[in-house]
Amino acid sequence: MIGNGWKEALEGLPYILQGTWVTLAVVFGALALGLVLGLVLAVGHVYGKPAVRRGIGLYVWFFRGIPLLVLLFLFYFGILGALKLELSPFVVAIIVLGLISSAYQSQIIRGAIKSLPEGQMKAARAIGMSDRQAIVFTILPQALRLAIPGWSNEYTVILKDSAVTYALGVAELMTRAHHVAARTYQHFWLYILVGIIFMVLTFCGTRAMAMIEKKVAIKGYSR
Amino acid sequence: MTADEPILVVQDLRKRFAEKEILRGISLQLHRGDIKVLIGPSGAGKSTLLHCINLLLPADDGRILLHGRDVTGFRKRRVYEYRQKVGMIFQDFNLFDHLTALRNVMIGLVRVKKIPKNEARRRALRELERVGLAEHADQYPAELSGGQKQRVSIARALAMEPEVMLLDEPTSSLDPELTGEVLTVIQDLAAAGMTMMMATHQFDFAESLANEIIFMEDGAIVEKGTPQKMLYAAENLRTREFCARIHGYWENPER
Repeated sequence: MIGNGWKEALEGLPYILQGTWVTLAVVFGALALGLVLGLVLAVGHVYGKPAVRRGIGLYVWFFRGIPLLVLLFLFYFGILGALKLELSPFVVAIIVLGLISSAYQSQIIRGAIKSLPEGQMKAARAIGMSDRQAIVFTILPQALRLAIPGWSNEYTVILKDSAVTYALGVAELMTRAHHVAARTYQHFWLYILVGIIFMVLTFCGTRAMAMIEKKVAIKGYSR
Repeated sequence: MTADEPILVVQDLRKRFAEKEILRGISLQLHRGDIKVLIGPSGAGKSTLLHCINLLLPADDGRILLHGRDVTGFRKRRVYEYRQKVGMIFQDFNLFDHLTALRNVMIGLVRVKKIPKNEARRRALRELERVGLAEHADQYPAELSGGQKQRVSIARALAMEPEVMLLDEPTSSLDPELTGEVLTVIQDLAAAGMTMMMATHQFDFAESLANEIIFMEDGAIVEKGTPQKMLYAAENLRTREFCARIHGYWENPER
């Protein structure tokens, strides 16, 4: 196992690294989809009528409660088949991870909204804003700032979850490492290698988030 | 509209939370230039009354009339328009923490009144000047003292050009040495003829400015009258007791 195997593994690196873009596209696609849906869900969860809140609660339960692999297979083999739709595994990966992420992100944002002082909404209403305006112009700009540490975590989770899309054959990092391993039998070095790539991506992402957090911090404000 | 027609009329306003009656039939009138001060122990319903008048809380019963029009049935758009005419100042300021002082004042002009940014900036600066904070325009709330925050919140309300201002204990979360600057601003407003209703425990202030003091307890108005009468010759025993206690406190804060 240990010997010159690592050299052979390294030869596969360029091929594997091309998967970085696929992995990042899946991750950022899912995070973006999750953010848009998560925002709407969070606002609905906090300010919606009881029926809306219950509906969102069920949605969150569904996507947090079912394992990723089950959801991937359910969508790809089950739902697409039933609907006679054809989508690439890449697109399905983004949609499924995005829906799951929206459930988690809605709870991150909901927590952030809830942690704002109640008076913010009241003050916005008192100068004649509609609830919608109050949420868009005063609540969300503050809540989204508070949500950044939670997002940072969500990024690392989605990043690692993206490896599971290997099961659909999405040509991301894990899939490519597996291809090379199947050919060279250097499983040890290849999985070490792909692990390191994931660690680097995690590091870069959390650092970027920390920088954004610092950049958008409100002067003199600490909570 | 004739001169003696009230701007704002509250008729038999009632509000309950669960089993507790917070407002038990409040009636009052505000004429142009009136300064009415609400006093009473905490839990008397002063704050709830002011919130109900601004439609921040729905009243269960009773009417609120602005220039003779009942606003209690107002929804959406008409509520938003009404609130622009009736400014509200809160005990804990409630400035938007993510915006500078200037942007706090501008946001209502830009987003609600849809005034172009440059014009809004000019008007917001003018309001900040009015409360003596033009040089703090670019500071964030967290960089301001409590007194400054409250003055920004007054500027924010004034920018909407309200006809009436409701002030809910505007100085009670401030350190004593900071109340003066806020009271001075309110004094200036009074001098400029602003119609106001204010809940406060600042008796000296009430005495020098108010044309009527209203004593509330347990969700009802117990007695109202001129400051002279209310503070020194109240008819109701409860009013006298309350005033004596507060007066005593302010004269002998040690006690």
